[in-house]
Amino acid sequence: MDKILINVLKEVQDNDGYISEKAMKNISVKYNVPLAKLYGVATFYAMFKIEKQGEHIIEICGSPSCMLNNGQKIEDFLEKELKIEVGKTTKNKKFSLYKTSCIGCCDEAPAMLMDGKPYTNLTIEKIKKILKKY
Amino acid sequence: MQIELKTSLKALEKAKKLGPKGVLKRLDKMGVVGRGGASFPTGRKWKIALETSSDEKFVICNADEGEPGTFKDKLIIKKNAETMIEGILIAAYTIGAKRCFIYLRGEYDHLRIELETKIKEIIKKSGLAVTIEIIRGAGAYICGEETSIIQSIMGNRGHAMYKPPYPPVEGLWGKPTIVNNVETLTGVSQSILFDDWDSSLRLFSLSGNVENPGVYEFPLGVKMSKILDVVRSKNKIKAVSFGCFGGFMKIKKNMEITHENICKEGCQHGAFSMIFIDETHNIVDVSYTIAKFYTYESCGKCTPCREGTIRLLERIKQVKEGKATKKDLELLKEFAEHVQETSLCGLGQSAGNYILTGLKHFKSDYLEYLK
Repeated sequence: MDKILINVLKEVQDNDGYISEKAMKNISVKYNVPLAKLYGVATFYAMFKIEKQGEHIIEICGSPSCMLNNGQKIEDFLEKELKIEVGKTTKNKKFSLYKTSCIGCCDEAPAMLMDGKPYTNLTIEKIKKILKKY
Repeated sequence: MQIELKTSLKALEKAKKLGPKGVLKRLDKMGVVGRGGASFPTGRKWKIALETSSDEKFVICNADEGEPGTFKDKLIIKKNAETMIEGILIAAYTIGAKRCFIYLRGEYDHLRIELETKIKEIIKKSGLAVTIEIIRGAGAYICGEETSIIQSIMGNRGHAMYKPPYPPVEGLWGKPTIVNNVETLTGVSQSILFDDWDSSLRLFSLSGNVENPGVYEFPLGVKMSKILDVVRSKNKIKAVSFGCFGGFMKIKKNMEITHENICKEGCQHGAFSMIFIDETHNIVDVSYTIAKFYTYESCGKCTPCREGTIRLLERIKQVKEGKATKKDLELLKEFAEHVQETSLCGLGQSAGNYILTGLKHFKSDYLEYLK
């Protein structure tokens, strides 16, 4: 097989913000992959979402390195500020909040990704400023 | 740092002069071993792929650096991707592969565009009829494991597979495939070109409760005191965790960091990711973070890991909430051993290390929490 399925799904995720049933059906026909298998793959990877997401996706790093450097405070603050729990989307559909295993910014902990872009050495003040930018 | 030395396609030139068998000999002579954690001799892995006859062979560069506390491959991709790409080309030339892949973890997607440009440039300059495609990882720790990475590229869920067959015999689409880590492939180019290349140097990812976290290069056998001098800490460091998988170790300043010494403590060094923990933290709290990590990342294929990691999280939570007794700690240990002994791949087989080493070296932290 020449086309890499995971790259195809990633493109859809990037363009549409999630992988809809309709998109899955299209991929299934185009690449001759059973829909059930496709669903299995799309739900295996943390970065693939099968439900509509907020405009921006925040991924807080949950590694021990971040946890040892006030990572929990950052998580608590984001939940309070956005008025949602991890795993949910804000009412105005602006932000979806997730926690990831590690984003590889352990030397600049605590850290998070906003739409894939790393923000590091986070403080509550810094997060307030970042949220305002989006 | 040695890892930053550029080979500027001169290593590939030299590899072509040596021929495939000559490259294998050179890698063995220079002592090149895998840097993803397993330390398997690279030349031996390549030899199997070279000797397995097939109409098609593949090379995968594993840039799915997912172990929490590890960020050395990111540094290489940022500072010396050229030399890593050259290593991929040398691998392709040696085993006779035409199609190669870099499996880049989703969390490093921000490095992708620049990497793509470098790949194009270098392939063009090399004149080889080889392609290197970037596979965009999508957030699955297990895909750092070689059989999972292969499943993922083939368009499947990233489940680990039973071995044998090993990838150099039967890998991607059933064909011989070599999977090597970013640091390994960079070292391949450097070890072929430079006669004074030092095989004992390793990249250490140092983080946690320290003032100077970062990636450092030390020789194997470096003293713990030297590492502590470099990273410095405000409070006294009491423990080091080797990523999430390698377990907790007590700080012994005179200890030399070698494979044997770390094993003696019941730990595994893996890719030398050291997360330092100071005396203001309880090991049970850090264990709770690690337990959540395992529950989240278990791929779900085998029962001991899928269910076991959830049970371990429940039991650690029980300790943390002050609801556990001494007898519960015995059960916790038994449970952790059971998960390790019966799981299919390295993920489940290491999913109890933090508990076993935590109970062994930091029992008093657990006792503090008992009801």
